[in-house]
Amino acid sequence: MLDLILLSTHLPSSNLPYLFAAFAVSWVILFGYLFYVNRRQHELRKEISRLQTILDQTPEE
Amino acid sequence: MASSQSMERSGGLQFPSLKTVLAVITGVMMLVDLYFIFMVAPTDAVLGHVQRVFYFHVPIAIMSFLAFFVVFIASLMYLFKRSPKWDAFAHASAEVGVIFVTLALITGIIWARPIWNTWWTWEPRLTTTLILWLIYVAYLMVRSYAPTQSKGAIYAAVVGIIGFVDVPIVYYSVVWWRSIHPSPVVGPFAKSDSLDGTMALILLYSFITFVFFFAYMVMERMELRTTEEALGRIRFALRRRGE
Repeated sequence: MLDLILLSTHLPSSNLPYLFAAFAVSWVILFGYLFYVNRRQHELRKEISRLQTILDQTPEE
Repeated sequence: MASSQSMERSGGLQFPSLKTVLAVITGVMMLVDLYFIFMVAPTDAVLGHVQRVFYFHVPIAIMSFLAFFVVFIASLMYLFKRSPKWDAFAHASAEVGVIFVTLALITGIIWARPIWNTWWTWEPRLTTTLILWLIYVAYLMVRSYAPTQSKGAIYAAVVGIIGFVDVPIVYYSVVWWRSIHPSPVVGPFAKSDSLDGTMALILLYSFITFVFFFAYMVMERMELRTTEEALGRIRFALRRRGE
């Protein structure tokens, strides 16, 4: 009986959800980070061009 | 990932930037890596399919060591030369390193559940890795909470140099202390017959892929920092004109 239990828990197919979870989490974190960096880069560039316009219109003292 | 912004103009011709080239190479290498992991790598007779996590878990863990080694060197260089470029390099590498060590912990936890029948155990490798994670999260916090950017850079450099002491401790933890964690498969303490030939080749390929991924992530983060600094300068100029 114990052999049967061990066999069923160690069958290659029995731990597939863990394999899926490990790869899914890896992709979500890696691409999530890259997405965050790219989005922030885009926002900052927009802010720079907005402020640059204001700066160009502000007379120097 | 390639965009018109990332193309460098030269004499009417457009050449993709180094970052774009790196992104394309990394993307292609990653797809091939996934093919090798799922279609070519043999299924482990004892551990089953979940053993394939190994081809991500081990290179990711080694990449975190590489990232913190870069932090160590760049921090030393910053303290000697006080050049902001070294600080930017250390900062980018530390942030990417934290991402990698977080992933190493999470993939390890997920792998441990079906193999060790527990999500977490306070054994030496896991504990020292968690300490490594805490050290570099502290590195990022020290930088954020410092009164000025230059002081933050100095404090962070000190943490980056001292914190690196934990990296060899993490590596040697499975050698120095009896542990449930497997022995090293790469480095000076790895046994020559610890891996099947195909598995070793796929692991090596995964390493190379993640080195490219690491370089790409660091470049992205350094570019963001350059933009943050440009924004800081323009805000400063605006404040001065407003006074």
